[in-house]
Parts: sequence; C-alpha cells; structure tokens
Amino acid sequence: MVYDWGAPTRCRSAVAVFAPSSAADTAIHVVEFSSSASQGGLPMISANAVITGSYNYGEVARSILIAIAASYAALDLAGRVTAARGRARAAWLTGGACVMGIGIWEMDLKGMLAFHLPVPVEYYWPTVLAALVVAILASAVALHVASRRRMGPADALIGSVIMGGGIVGQHYLHMAAMRLPAITRYSPILVTISILLAILFSLIALLMAFGLREETRWSILRKLGSAAVMGAAISAMHYIGMAAASFISASPPDLSHAVSISPIANFGVFTIAWIVLAAAITTSSVDRRRGEEVRQLNQELEGRVAERTRQLEAVNQALRREIVEREQTEEALRHSEDHLRLVIDTIPQQIWSGPPDGYLDFFNAQLLSYVGLTQEGLQGEGWQRVLHPDDRERVLTSWRESVMNGTPFEEEVRNRGANGKYRWFLVRGVTLRDSAGRILRWYGTSTDVEDRKQAEGELRKQKEVFQKIFENIPVMIAFFGTDGQIELVNPEWERTIGWTLEEIREQNLDIYAELFPDPHYRQMAREYAAASTSEHTDFKVRVRDGRVIDMAADVVHLSDGSRLGIGKDITERKHTEAALQKSQENLVRVTRVIAMGELAAAIAHEVNQPLTAIVTNANFCLRELAGGTPKVEKLREAMGEIVSDGARASAVTSRIRALLQKGAPERTKLDINQIIEEVTLLLRGELTRNRVSLRTDLGLDLPRVSGDRVQLQQVVINLVMNGIEAMRSPVQTRDLLIKSGRNHNRNEVLIQIQDSGEGLDPQQAKHIFEPFFTTKPEGVGMGLSISRSIVESHGGRLWAESDLKGSLFQFTLPEQ
Amino acid sequence: MTEPASVIFVVDDDPSIRRAIKRLVESVGLQVELFGAAQEFLQSQRQDVPSCLVLDIRLPGISGLDFQRELAEAKNNIPIIFISAHGDVPMAVRAMKAGAVEFLTKPFRDQDLLDAVQVALDRDRARREREGEIATLRERFESLSPREHEVVAMVVSGMLNKQTAAELGTTENTVKVHRSRAMEKMQAQSLAELVKMVERLKLPPQAS
Repeated sequence: MVYDWGAPTRCRSAVAVFAPSSAADTAIHVVEFSSSASQGGLPMISANAVITGSYNYGEVARSILIAIAASYAALDLAGRVTAARGRARAAWLTGGACVMGIGIWEMDLKGMLAFHLPVPVEYYWPTVLAALVVAILASAVALHVASRRRMGPADALIGSVIMGGGIVGQHYLHMAAMRLPAITRYSPILVTISILLAILFSLIALLMAFGLREETRWSILRKLGSAAVMGAAISAMHYIGMAAASFISASPPDLSHAVSISPIANFGVFTIAWIVLAAAITTSSVDRRRGEEVRQLNQELEGRVAERTRQLEAVNQALRREIVEREQTEEALRHSEDHLRLVIDTIPQQIWSGPPDGYLDFFNAQLLSYVGLTQEGLQGEGWQRVLHPDDRERVLTSWRESVMNGTPFEEEVRNRGANGKYRWFLVRGVTLRDSAGRILRWYGTSTDVEDRKQAEGELRKQKEVFQKIFENIPVMIAFFGTDGQIELVNPEWERTIGWTLEEIREQNLDIYAELFPDPHYRQMAREYAAASTSEHTDFKVRVRDGRVIDMAADVVHLSDGSRLGIGKDITERKHTEAALQKSQENLVRVTRVIAMGELAAAIAHEVNQPLTAIVTNANFCLRELAGGTPKVEKLREAMGEIVSDGARASAVTSRIRALLQKGAPERTKLDINQIIEEVTLLLRGELTRNRVSLRTDLGLDLPRVSGDRVQLQQVVINLVMNGIEAMRSPVQTRDLLIKSGRNHNRNEVLIQIQDSGEGLDPQQAKHIFEPFFTTKPEGVGMGLSISRSIVESHGGRLWAESDLKGSLFQFTLPEQ
Repeated sequence: MTEPASVIFVVDDDPSIRRAIKRLVESVGLQVELFGAAQEFLQSQRQDVPSCLVLDIRLPGISGLDFQRELAEAKNNIPIIFISAHGDVPMAVRAMKAGAVEFLTKPFRDQDLLDAVQVALDRDRARREREGEIATLRERFESLSPREHEVVAMVVSGMLNKQTAAELGTTENTVKVHRSRAMEKMQAQSLAELVKMVERLKLPPQAS
C-alpha cells in the first residue's frame, strides 16, 4: 500500500488490495468508499452504498506511540510485580493492570478516532467503558503470568490467549460502540487473522516481559526496543481489525447514550493517557529507586550485625582457648600421678606388692586380667588360690622363708589363668627398706615363662631322643673336639673297638696306634679324620682282641670345627660279599660245565675226527709193514698225517680244558676276533649237526680289549648256542652271522650274533637276562644271565634285539 | 686184476680222514675217489663199474642219511657204508633199514672198513649181474611174436596145449609149433626153465 504522507491528512483512494507478503504494512484495509449516506447536510448516498473512510495519519502515529508507551509500562510493571511480595504484589498487579489496560484501551480508541468516515460517528459510551474493563482484566492476567517465578509453555499459551482475547475483545467492543448511519460488516478471514495475531503478539509480549523482568544493565534500552516491537504489533493487530470491517450506508442509528468524540475530547483522551502512562512509569521508577535504597540500608545493617558477630566470636574463641589451656594444665598435673599407675598397669609384666608381713595388697591390671580376679579376691592370702596344687607347698614355704628373713624371693610357679589353664611364671620379689634397713614393702613381678618352659621341655625331649639314638644305634659314633681328641664315644663304638673311653683316657692310650698298627696306614687314617672334606671310606681296623675288622667310615663336620666320626663294622658284609663273589665264580664255572655238557656231542666229534684219521693211517702203516715191500714214501706220508692229526686232537682237548678250567679270572689283552674264531672252530661240529650255516664278518684292525679269555669265550659260546637253539625248530634257513666291529664314538668293540630263527617273544625278551629264566626244556636259565654279568664285569653291555627274521644279540667291550 | 675194475667213492668233509681212507683202501688194490660233499659226488663223472660209497653221516649241507634217501629216490642203488663220529643207535637203525651195507663208528677198525667195502662191492657186482641177465631175457622175450607171447603166457600159467588151442581158436599142433619156437627164442631147455624165466621178468629188477 502506498501512503501518501504529503496529503493534507486526508487521502482518497479507490480499492486498495494488499499483498499479504508486505510485512511492513501494519494496517491492512479492505475498505471501499463508493457512496455515503449522511445526516446533517452531508450528501445522501444511496442505500447499500459502501462508505469509504480515511485515516488521519497524525492520529495513527500517536496511537502507535501510545501502544509503545503502554508496552513499555507493561514490561516495566512486570519487573515490579515480580520483585514485589504479598500485598505489594497485589497492589502493583492492580496498578499495573490498570495502567497497561488503559494504555491498550487508549491506543485502540486513538486508532478508532484516526479513522474518519464521511458520515457522523458517535460512540455508545457504556460499551466503551466495557472495553476499558476488558483491557484492564486482560492486562492483569498478562502481568500475573509474566511475573510468576516460572512460566511453562501451558502458562504462556493460556496467558497469551487471554491477553490476545482481551485486546481483540476490547477492539471489537469499540467497533460495536460505534454509532453511525451505516451497517458494519466484517470480513471473517481478517477477523480471524486479527485474533490470531493478537494471541501471537501477546505470546511474544509475555515471553519478552518474562525475559526482561530481571533488571540488568541494558534493561532500559532493551525494554524500549521490546516496547517498540510490542507497540507496533498491537497497532498492527488493531488496524487489521479495522480493515476487517466495512461500512454500508444505512438509516441513522439510535444515538441514545452515544457521545461524539470531538477533536478536543480526542486530545483530552490523548493527554490523559500520557499522564497516566507517565505517572505509572514514574511511580514505577520511584518505587524501584526506593527499593534500591531499602536494600542498601539492609545491607549496611547486615554488615554491622556481621561485624558485631565477628567480634563476639573472637571473644568466645579467646575464652575457649583459655578453658582448654586451663584443662591442659590440670591434665598435666594429673598426668604425673596417673603415669606411674598407667605404666604399672600396661607394661607386659605382672606386678604385685604388699606390706612387710607378706599379705599382699596390690596387683596390677595385667595380673588381674590374667587370673581373672579382682584386687579384693587376691588380697591377703587370696593369691595363693591360683597356685598349681603341685607347686603350692614349695612356693609357700619359700615365700614364708623370704618374708621371715627379708631375703629376695624367686620361684618358678604355675599360675592358673582366667581360662582355667596353668602357665609357668618366674616370680620374683624384693624389699623396699628405709634408711634404717627396716622393710617398708614387698615389690614383685611374675614373668610368663611358659614358652621358655615348653621350649626347654622340647629341647629336653629332643636331647633324649638323640641320646637314645646315640646309645642304641648299631653304628660307631665318636665325637672329636676341635683339637682332634676324642671327647665322646657311643656304646657301639666301645663294644666294637673293645676299649672304653675311660680306659683310653686313664691309660693315656694312643688309640690310632692301637687301631692302625701299620704306621703308614695309621697316617692315612689320621689324615682322613682331619681332612676338611671326606667321603665314605673303608678301613681295616685292629680291635682290642686282635681281630682285624673292616670298617666303613664317614666324617661329619660340625659348624664349630669339631667332628663326628661315624663307623660301621662291615666285616661280615665283606665276608658275605667275598663269599657271594666266589659262589658267583663257581656258578659261572658250573654253567660253563653245563654248556660243555651240552656240547659233548660236538666235542666228541671234534676229537674223533683227528683220531679216526690217525687210527686209519696207523693201520695203513701196519699193513704196509706187514707186507713184503713197504713203500717208504707212502709210510712217511701217512706218519706225517698221524702227527698233524695228533696235534689237532690235542688242540681240541686243550681248548676244552681251558673252558672248564677253574681258576681266578685273568685279565689280558685280547683279540676278540681270535676268540670268535676259536669258538666257531669248537662249535663247528655243533653247527654242522644242526645244519646251521655260519658266516663270520670280522672287522679288521680291531683294537685289543682287556678281559678274561675263558669268560669271553663262554659269552660267545653261550650266544652262538642260543642262536643254534633258536633255529632248532623247522625254519626255512638256518643262518648264523657273527660280526665284530668298532664303535668309534664310544671307543668300544661291538660283537653281534644274528640268527635267522623266529625271534623272541616280546614277553620273553624282557626276562631272558634274568637268572633261571629259560625257554629250553632242559635249560638251566643261567647262560644269558651269566653272559651279561661277565660282559658287565668287563665294562661292556649285552643286549638283545629281535624281530620276525631272528634275534640279534650284541655286546660291547671297552677298548684297551 | 682179472676182475672188472671197481671204484670206492668216499664222501667226508674232513680231508685228513678222506686221505687216510684212500691210503688204506688203495693198499688192498682198490681204486678210490674222494669227495668233500654229497653235491660234489653227484656232479662227478663216474665209471659204470661195480662200486660202493663210503659216506660220512655229518656233512656240510645235506646230511649223509638224507643223501641216502635221495639216491634211493633217484633209483641209484649204489651200496652205502656209513661212517660217523658219534653214531647213535637210532641213526644206525635208520641207515641199515634204508639198505646201508654197514654203519661204522669213527674211529673204525681198518679191517671192518675193508670187509664192508668187500661186501658192498660183491653186492654191487651181484646186483649188476642180475640186472644184466634180466636185461638179456627181456630182450629175448621182446623178440617173440604176439601169438608166441600169448601162447607163452598161457603155457606158463599151467594150461595144456589143448586148452590153449581152444582158447586161441586154433589147433593143438599150431600151439605146439608156437611153443617150441618161443622156447627156442628164449633159449629155454625145458618148460620149467621157461616158467622161471618169465617169473624173473615179472619181478621188479631190484635186489632182495
């Protein structure tokens, strides 16, 4: 819309249509002026003609100013109402509502007057007053809502509806108060818009007022700005409401109670409105200033009270300190008295005392708590009740004696505790005397020595245990002091050696000389005994009756440098060992004989072969000699053979004799291959008889081994015979392989005997080296056991491996 | 030596014994051949003359007794004398039952061996002779005609000429002619001799 501000207060325009987007326009008019019917000399306008109105823009501006002023007052009053309490709040709310309501009403009225119609317009005054009341009530609600401590969305919404409704209501009441020769028609859309806008602006106004009610530094400027917005908004709503109405000329109205609002009245209204507003604003600021003064006075007063309170507090503090100091002084005074009692009651010691006559009258807390009795219960002779019945007589006698003579008392006593159990105490009592030596009091302590007693008991028991061991163990024990002299010996020592320690000491015997007659050996024994480290050693000792016994000796060093000599008579064991070794040797020989027995057929064959040749050759010779012309050449040939066959037979018999020989094993350097060859020669017949084909694979340049020829031959015989036995059952091939070789890594010679039998049953394989285990019907079961012990006595190993293709027995011998 | 040459074979693994036996046996004028094992003997070229085998029981490889059985199975009937260093009775019984001439235990008496050799050679000679006669008879017998065979078979079974003629569907005279011709071919002097000859031919050609 284009306003012609240059026109002299009146402007005529035809139909004006406004685009809704022109937000700057606050007044939207759809007002048509076509004709007017007027009274009082104004040209008559035909019925139903639309009356066109015009605006006095000066009035419009004033109305807006009033709206802004009212808004400012409202915002300011909202702050006041918020700050006030009780009746003051009610008064402020009432006053504020009046001022704000009058402002709104005034602005609206002003806006109405700014609109000039070409017909006389009067107002029905009761309705105008009703509009004022509505405006005041709506303002009251708005102030109430904006001044509450909190404003929720519901509060804001309800407040804004009531406020907006009030504003719109008073406007349309004004419209209704109009008395003019025309019919007023309303555009429903614009009316609705005006209502919605009123509510919307009210909401904005409430939110602004709520936000501005707390006074801040910039609040006046901000309030002014907000007031301007709000005023403009209220004006806009008003002019939309105006625009919603159109006037159609009609018959003159009923003018009863209607008044004409002349420009003078108009001005009066305006002036009054300003006075009201100014008064309200002034009152408001005066009130605020007064509020400020009161607050300052309050603060001053509070400051003085606080100052006074501080002074009082300081005095109070000083007094308290004084009291505390006084108490401390008193405490210190008490302390020196109580200290002694405290010490007496808390030290971990039972204390008692009493007059010279021995009737005790004081017991400290430790003592009381231990026995579980009171001072009264123990006084006099009461203390005697806690004594152990077994100790009672002894303790009382001793106590009476001490009291009588004034001598210190000391006894170990069992006292019964509160739990009914007795503990050992060391009880001591001494006298306090005056300068004349008269006894003033007895003072005493009872010290718990239960733990020590128990430890002593255990020590005693332990000592007894060791003592008993020492006396009864069938081992000789001698204790040597740091000087090397025998200080103690046990009964076993004396029994074995034949001398008692007493005798040795009395006769001043050099026991070493007695025990070790050989000076060289004696020296060795002395050195052994004196050595800082020693290991188990066997000695030969001559005992008192002249026997020489074997003694296993050990020396144990004690921490202080003394030593324990431990010895055991092992003569019998040595004999047993020797006997065992002998029987072992016999057993070896017996098994060898048994083996020989098994070989008898083979041996017979071996001997018979050369014998047959000898006999046959000899017979030939005899025949030749019996004949006429003996052929000398033939004879010599036969004789030569007889000699060589004789030697052959002799070799066989000596080999057998060597095997059956009884004699101490003899170690010589041996060629193991030679032994294998000898054995295979001896067993050739046996191999042939059993149709076993023998193959030997003997290593070249084998180192010699140290051993007993006969024993090693026996091992090879045993293993070969075992191999033959293993192939006795009808097996496909009967191959026996004897191999010798060298195991360089271990510096040993390895001999292997492999048969092609069925192998060993795994169950049997575990036991084959055990004595008397045999799988042969006539076997003794000593062969492998003896063989293993022979090999092991040579420092080698003998073991067996077996699979389905036969068994492999092998043994090693260390290289020389 | 008027007799046909004979050979003694010795199989023993002990060369010393072999040589001694050779020396002894040769001293009585017999020829000796030596072998260390049975296999060597089998592989040798031998004269077809009266001979015998001196065999050690225990030999490398196959044993003497097994070798004896092998020879018998091969229809080699050479007489065997066993020598053994440790002969036991069951072994000797087995050897003798299998036809051994003698079982001598080492060391044996020289005469025992020589006697045994003599017996063995005589036995071989006789065997050879017997085997020669039978061969001659068979030769003659096979020269007979089929009709003569039939006639001889019937005659030696004790049938009369008449019965034979009836059996063969011919005349008695014809039978007589066949018979006399057959006897002539067989060189039989009498009917009894002819019967004996046919009996020998039926026997298996082996000793005892």
